[in-house]
Amino acid sequence: MAQSRYILGISAYYHDSAAAIIKDSEIIAAAQEERFSRVKHDPRFPVNAINYCIEEAFIEASDIDAVVFYDHPILTYDRIIKNCATVGEHSYDTFNSATKSILGIKLWVEKHVKQTIGTVGKLGKVLFAGHHISHAASSFFPSPYNESAIVSVDGVGEWSTTTIAHGIDNDIKLLKEINYPNSLGLLYSAFTYYCGFKVNSGEYKLMGLAPYGKPIYVKHIYDNLIDVKQDGSYRLNMEYFGYLETNKTTNQKFHDLFGASPRQPESVITRKEMDIAASIQQVTEEIFIKIAQHARNSTGSSNLCLSGGVALNCVANGKLLREKIFDNIWIQPAAGDAGGALGACYVANHLYYKEKRSIPNGKNDKQHGSYLGPKYSDTEIEAFLDRNNYVYKKYAETDKNELLAKEIDKGKIVGFFAGRMEFGPRSLGARSIIGDPRNAEMQSKMNLKIKYRESFRPFAPAVLREDVNKYFDLDQDSPYMLIVAPVKETIRKQVDTNIEHNADDMIPIINQIRSELPAITHVDYSARIQTVHKDTNEKFYNLIDAFKQLTGCSVLVNTSFNVRGEPIVCTPKDAYLCFMRTDIDILVLENYILFKEDQPKFEEKENWQQKYELD
Amino acid sequence: MNRQLFQYHPTIGYKFISNLKTRIQHENGGYLVKTNEWGFRSEIEFNKEKKSDAKRILFFGDSFTAGDGVSNKFRFTDIVEQTLPGVEVFNFGLPGSGTDQQFLLYKEFGKDVECDLIVLVVLVENIRRIKSHYRYYYNEAGEKQIYQKPYFDFKDNIFQLFNTPVESQPLKMEDLPANEQEKVDTGGRFVMARSIVNALGLKEITQKFTKYQPVPEYNTANSPEWLVLKEIIKLWSEMAQAKFLVVPLPLYQFIEETSSPDNYRARFGELKSELNIEIFDPLNDLLAYTAEERRNFRHKTDVHPTNAGHKAIADSLSKKIAEML
Repeated sequence: MAQSRYILGISAYYHDSAAAIIKDSEIIAAAQEERFSRVKHDPRFPVNAINYCIEEAFIEASDIDAVVFYDHPILTYDRIIKNCATVGEHSYDTFNSATKSILGIKLWVEKHVKQTIGTVGKLGKVLFAGHHISHAASSFFPSPYNESAIVSVDGVGEWSTTTIAHGIDNDIKLLKEINYPNSLGLLYSAFTYYCGFKVNSGEYKLMGLAPYGKPIYVKHIYDNLIDVKQDGSYRLNMEYFGYLETNKTTNQKFHDLFGASPRQPESVITRKEMDIAASIQQVTEEIFIKIAQHARNSTGSSNLCLSGGVALNCVANGKLLREKIFDNIWIQPAAGDAGGALGACYVANHLYYKEKRSIPNGKNDKQHGSYLGPKYSDTEIEAFLDRNNYVYKKYAETDKNELLAKEIDKGKIVGFFAGRMEFGPRSLGARSIIGDPRNAEMQSKMNLKIKYRESFRPFAPAVLREDVNKYFDLDQDSPYMLIVAPVKETIRKQVDTNIEHNADDMIPIINQIRSELPAITHVDYSARIQTVHKDTNEKFYNLIDAFKQLTGCSVLVNTSFNVRGEPIVCTPKDAYLCFMRTDIDILVLENYILFKEDQPKFEEKENWQQKYELD
Repeated sequence: MNRQLFQYHPTIGYKFISNLKTRIQHENGGYLVKTNEWGFRSEIEFNKEKKSDAKRILFFGDSFTAGDGVSNKFRFTDIVEQTLPGVEVFNFGLPGSGTDQQFLLYKEFGKDVECDLIVLVVLVENIRRIKSHYRYYYNEAGEKQIYQKPYFDFKDNIFQLFNTPVESQPLKMEDLPANEQEKVDTGGRFVMARSIVNALGLKEITQKFTKYQPVPEYNTANSPEWLVLKEIIKLWSEMAQAKFLVVPLPLYQFIEETSSPDNYRARFGELKSELNIEIFDPLNDLLAYTAEERRNFRHKTDVHPTNAGHKAIADSLSKKIAEML
């Protein structure tokens, strides 16, 4: 029998570093460093994630065939040098810090790998895959398609910011790219910053804020900031952006254009921010759709694979889906830089080693539900609970689900920790906080007492796949919570239009009951849907099914198991700490259930509010 | 660390968590740890009855036997199994344990296991652990905590076990009586001086220059620690239902000839004639390697054996075991 081929992929040094490992084209493991280091979007070399991936493969590091880095440090440096040369002396700071960063770290990737695992693998050198080809590979190769158009849109990677490619079997051909400084990702980030959110993490909030506003600045944006052609190619007017010369995305001219300085983080969100968010969201969707249309035209494919940070804009994804440009769309759940680690593995596997690609049945993808992180056994959990004298009871699977269904029905909030941790930014029922979507107080309770985050932010529904069409205008898989679709008219409720249109404060708008599932219905009657499938997460499926048996409702609120600014929990200890620091009522660690009121007095040992910097 | 390795055990204090598959980050790049259903580092499941004609050897010891710093398959116990045909090895090694805990572990898990040979590997510094009543342990938060450990003592000429069952929860140093505070295993002699010398990177040169003796407990035949160790070995050898071999495993200071092994070798020599048991001292075999090779028997900073160190121990031990089987 031929020996298996193991490939380790690494992404690092920008934000959200990660590692992934594949064996004979199959994904064995993938995880973000932040989950282990407990530093949100940790950009450092992912020593813990790498260790975990090798642990999951359970091989000696010397048995790894190739180690692949997702980016070309030299090309990135080339971009920075040329950028600085063009801008001149104003860019001295940028040049200085980037030079230190890249020359100090990036060129020594090989050394870091060797220090971390003691070897660079059988190949004897680290391969460098390239940023956008890694993104493209991360979406095409695990997808269920033999052939597909591939679109990747992010801030910047080396020179590229947007690429269109065509994937056929085990090959990817790059067809078109848009280069830095023109970047749809950086445009969105500029507005994220301007609206008072943190770049590289607050984009999601801007998207969530958009439905509260009116897109009154769309023309303003097209007239001044971006020139878009019919084929989706675009050019930014760099007079309004700061990122060439400074480490800020916007400049004074941008602020003048919108008539004010950027909103201060954590200050009151006004109608203006809502309208700006609505405007840039609309512009992004329009450009995104044009790019997709061009991809369709230039490849002739009826399939689309998406990646890059902009592919996490699930509102745009939903619009794209409803445009019906493509018959099928598959989005890499770790669409940002973390997914580059997985893509790098595939680049080595299919483009370097020329490994043939196999699609099992043309339907299922190869992402395994994105449950690619660590799992903790009953013996590990019990050892943890006993060692700390925590009070728990072990349940059989069915009894556990019946109990939890009853508690959720009573309005209790559950920290649910089961199976392998998710890869990517979304919690998909392995490390989730769950509650009753029918409960009108659930959204504000979860936002303010559990997550300690902004009250406007919506929660996502996790729904049994076979019932998705009962509640939402969607009748397809959305296992990775990357598609936003409307809540069905039949379950919507009328709202007070006076409040809706005239309130300058968001709270009364948020508090309007919009459907039979108010906790997951966003202000525009949309929902960010996760379809739950028995074959990829049986435990979560069975829990929702138990809730359905009890209540007739096959939907649960599903939000990430963390507090604001904290990486999603990874270990039983992380889960227990989050449970005790918040108003979560019940903690589920696999088959062990812990009630808050039974626990010993909790002694806080760290200043976690300070440790987890607000995002 | 992403995963914890140990769970509470009322008799021994702690043991490996069962059915673990993990990788420990280490200065050598990392190593794989697999534990079985019984909770020992092993690639195979243990069972009491022999199911084949293979000669079964049970190994007991501390982290050197359990294999801290190397993957299971590179440990000397596993190499012995690979080297000797028709041999099956059960490794009961428990990191951080003293011979006292290993004896309790034998009684709890090993006593009823059919076997042909029991090998007790006494890392010579284990003598220090048997005099301690408490040990340090790092919890999930990386905090250093003090836990009770079981220990034996002669009280009124009676050999007695104390700290049993072991307290499951950590203790605070300030809550211990002053005389008990001295009984916390601090990992070696001269705690303060050691931390300064280590911080300055002068450990090896200092040890060489001062002819540092890491285990003075062997200096006389009637030191309390030696008397306890001797009694444990005596009881164990009497209880064993199979051939019994004691292997005093030298510390690196003895392998690299920066300290004299004379005293501990003298004690084990006396023990051999006193109890009429088999004792095998691998030091002569290890000293046959070049100085450079011997330095590579341990990691750069971690004193546990490297793959090469384990191989050298296995090569030495295999000959003796083959002879006994």
